[in-house]
Amino acid sequence: MSQKIIHSEGFKIVNRYFESLGNTPFGFQVRTWDRYMLGYSGMVIAPTGFGKTFSVFMAVLIDYMNHPERYQKGLKLLWVTPLRSLAKDLAKAMQTAIDDIGLDWVVQVRNGDTDPKIRVQQTKAMPDILLVTPESLHLLLAQKQRDKYFKNIRCITVDEWHELIGNKRGVMVELALSYLKHQHKNLQIWGITATIGNLDQAMDVLLPGEKKSVQIVAKEKKKIAIKSIYPDKVELLPWAGHLGGNLVNQVVPIILESKSTILFTNTRSQSELWYQLLLQAHPDFAGQIALHHSSVDAHIREWIEDNLSSGKLKAVVSTSSLDLGVDFKPVDTVIQIGSSKGVARFMQRAGRSGHSPFETSIIYFVPTHSLELIEVAALKEAVKTQTIENRDPMVQSFDVLVQFMVTIALGGGFQSTELHQIVARTHAFNYMEDEEWQWCMYFITAGGKIGKRYEEFHKVVQDSDGNWIIKNRRIALLHRLNIGAIVGDAMMRVKFLSGGYIGMIEEYFISKLKKGERFNLAGRILELVMVKDMTVFVKNSSGKAITPSWLGGRLPLSSNLSHFLRKKLAEAIAPSNAEKELRFLSPLIQKQQSLSAVPNESEFLVEHIKTNEGNHLFFYPLEGRLIHEVMAALIAYRISKRYPISISMAMNDYGFELYSDQEIHLDQTQLTEILSRENLMQDVISSINSAEMASRKFRDIAVISGLVVQNYPGTQQNNKSLQASSGIIFRVLMDHDPDNLLLKQAFTEVFNQQLEEYRLIKAFERINNSQIIYTFVEEYTPLSFPIKVDSLRQSLSSEALIERIQRMEHANKSKRGRRK
Amino acid sequence: MNIQEQHITFNKQKLILNNQRTIFWPKQNTLILSDLHLGKAAHFRKNGIPIPSDISSLDLQRLASLIDYYRAENILVVGDLIHAGINQEVLLLEEFKQNHASLNFHLVIGNHDRQVEKLAKQINIIYHHDKFEMEQIHFVHEPAIDRSVFTISGHIHPGVSIKLPPNKHLRLPCFWVSAQQIILPAFSKFTGLDSRKMSEEYDCYALHEEIILPLKNS
Repeated sequence: MSQKIIHSEGFKIVNRYFESLGNTPFGFQVRTWDRYMLGYSGMVIAPTGFGKTFSVFMAVLIDYMNHPERYQKGLKLLWVTPLRSLAKDLAKAMQTAIDDIGLDWVVQVRNGDTDPKIRVQQTKAMPDILLVTPESLHLLLAQKQRDKYFKNIRCITVDEWHELIGNKRGVMVELALSYLKHQHKNLQIWGITATIGNLDQAMDVLLPGEKKSVQIVAKEKKKIAIKSIYPDKVELLPWAGHLGGNLVNQVVPIILESKSTILFTNTRSQSELWYQLLLQAHPDFAGQIALHHSSVDAHIREWIEDNLSSGKLKAVVSTSSLDLGVDFKPVDTVIQIGSSKGVARFMQRAGRSGHSPFETSIIYFVPTHSLELIEVAALKEAVKTQTIENRDPMVQSFDVLVQFMVTIALGGGFQSTELHQIVARTHAFNYMEDEEWQWCMYFITAGGKIGKRYEEFHKVVQDSDGNWIIKNRRIALLHRLNIGAIVGDAMMRVKFLSGGYIGMIEEYFISKLKKGERFNLAGRILELVMVKDMTVFVKNSSGKAITPSWLGGRLPLSSNLSHFLRKKLAEAIAPSNAEKELRFLSPLIQKQQSLSAVPNESEFLVEHIKTNEGNHLFFYPLEGRLIHEVMAALIAYRISKRYPISISMAMNDYGFELYSDQEIHLDQTQLTEILSRENLMQDVISSINSAEMASRKFRDIAVISGLVVQNYPGTQQNNKSLQASSGIIFRVLMDHDPDNLLLKQAFTEVFNQQLEEYRLIKAFERINNSQIIYTFVEEYTPLSFPIKVDSLRQSLSSEALIERIQRMEHANKSKRGRRK
Repeated sequence: MNIQEQHITFNKQKLILNNQRTIFWPKQNTLILSDLHLGKAAHFRKNGIPIPSDISSLDLQRLASLIDYYRAENILVVGDLIHAGINQEVLLLEEFKQNHASLNFHLVIGNHDRQVEKLAKQINIIYHHDKFEMEQIHFVHEPAIDRSVFTISGHIHPGVSIKLPPNKHLRLPCFWVSAQQIILPAFSKFTGLDSRKMSEEYDCYALHEEIILPLKNS
């Protein structure tokens, strides 16, 4: 090692500490320590379990021991982490290390869970190291004493930066960093992240314009073994959601042989279902397995996490609620049920097992329909080539900006030109126009577009020194209670009549239930007794029950994975020996080939299937459900432009279906025309109701920008008169203030996130460069069947569904029989 | 303004429902409406929530046009004339009254009208607690449970969700009309909708800028 640091006193002390634990520092840790001492900012990229926390944390300790004169009393290191649950354990680990090394630094946590007493104590004297969430950091900035808190700050570390960069909480971090950097020119900022596709950009966003910056990548790699669970035989007509259930008997032995297992599902309803399936298949699991998702009461979740850590639970069925968080040491097996929809998520979940650095993480994949085995093949290749998704940073999020401006006004005020400069330095608002800044000022001081006669609006006002501040105490209180960029659905608490709290459930789901109906929640079967004051009262029940389908539970398929999916589908026709999954699927692929075609990478398949019900067109872009929704509406629109026809649509991650009971007239040339890249976005806009989509996007924007107040102070009266839904406000603004920047943001978000304009254009370019294969078939093909079944799913209850599918399969069989 | 109408008979009286969220009663020459919520935007603004402020004045302009159109001599608001406190927007009502000096203005006090009485006295609005009665029809704010009397009420801001194939939903304000009861939509456009289903004895009239649409309730 050539670094100067290894000769320093601080390094020797820390090295001895590592030796006392029987470890030696990793190379990337030493490099971080070295660069930090030289005054660099930067970003550390390392897999979980390799001590990435200690890279930056120890760097600060070493620097302190080498140059104690650089550090003064009070807060020295601010540690931003996206997860509240992580902070407590992290603080404990840091404090232990500090104590063992023999320093007198104090580590504390500050977030919503922090004891008010400790919070008061912190406002008097800050600890040396403070762990916060982006929200609690903004709350600190909203306090009058903020300058005092951060007076002697040396370093801010943003942990799990990859979790923040793609969303509005990331924008919150950018703004806070820019503000603090402006006050403390020597502030060193470090990010810690897992591997993502756009690391260079991630660093630019974290450290915009920083000259002295460095990226440190750990050489250590986590080994992942992926094992598929195969059904006994290939069902030639695979249908979504059903097959997984059949495989429960193969899953039970895996759980029994493991010390402790996490089963990941994609939706809460799937997790409820699997919890029940496991109990039915192996009744002895009662009391040994648990169910963990975001609608389960936080106390129960905490209990589950504790018992998973201590090894008392044999298995936990979960959703993405356990993707992140503290390491559960006893967990040695991870099972993924159904598609993980993305490479990064899959690797992250795999990493939840075999936590110590050089252990291999094992993940089992349970397909919910046999086609998903192609996805395993795709994932294996993506993991091998380390092709991981980008996390695109958000820009021009004016809702977050106006919230931040009010926050800064609240914590002692700002000068407009100075804050404008601070904001414009961030990546998110780099391209902000002067007029847009002026609009934001107008929004928080005058309330946007107003008639001149009205003077009631006094959110942010100017004091005699020209500082923009908040005087009204009630406005201040409402703002503090509503800082943040996470907007929840309207949730209702579920309680037993006899008392006892079970969890939360979407208002939307409950509004569809009648008294006496039964539903599953948190692994129990509950009967609805009554609804009162946003609380659902229930009693224990048994028998058949509805599993709530939570809104927004559907994850989009990443474009990385779709690329590999197309490749593997093409390869499946002649799989190599190593591709076990594809070989297993061979009969199904053969059938697809003989009935219709299996597209290779330069082909695009369209199937025209005629059944007794009517005419179906199936398209297979393999771009994921969200894009298919847009594509389906677009193609239906283009067909209906040729001649009047009513078309219904269905889609899954692999393709989409257009259905009509009338004849669909479409020859090869016309098909090529309706798939054209020409006039793409104009046609998309005509085919969808963008105002309706924007209105949905506006929900979050309204809450973040303070147009809709989510949390009220508990004791205040007269809150009801301030409630308006974002939908009403959206309508009002469309009528009265169409130039409102927040409205424009809603439409932009629709184009960037919902329609994924960029990806859509790419997809059409790819299709236009492909050879279009157009086949005419008289029965459902293996590729089309899951889409067909998914479309039935939306309107029918599950038992009726199974019957109907059986009838369809039956009809298909008898048709084949007749032909022979 | 586009006014579309539906004529109905209620307790032997001929009533005209229109798509501008009011009922005109020709025999009494009275315009009936509910839930104006004047000053709601200003109340939001006062609490730091920036809502554009010309909503109230546009609602009042719409009301003035309807009065002109029907040449109504009486106006009856069945509750929630104002939203919360007396603010600049509420004071627009003063001007409105001056411009319609000959108009008889009746108000049945609603749950939001806690601070209305003093203002009503000042600007000569005749207000009634609980109910107002004309030709055996009770005008109340909240829909009555008692089915033996004919009532016209507001309060719940009724709305209806209409499915348009393939995947669109449209939520519209509406009247609910049964043999004994009429529930008025909220007059103000800055109000939410309660699109809960009503029992089968009610007919629904959905309202849109262009039409008033009788719907089957099944």
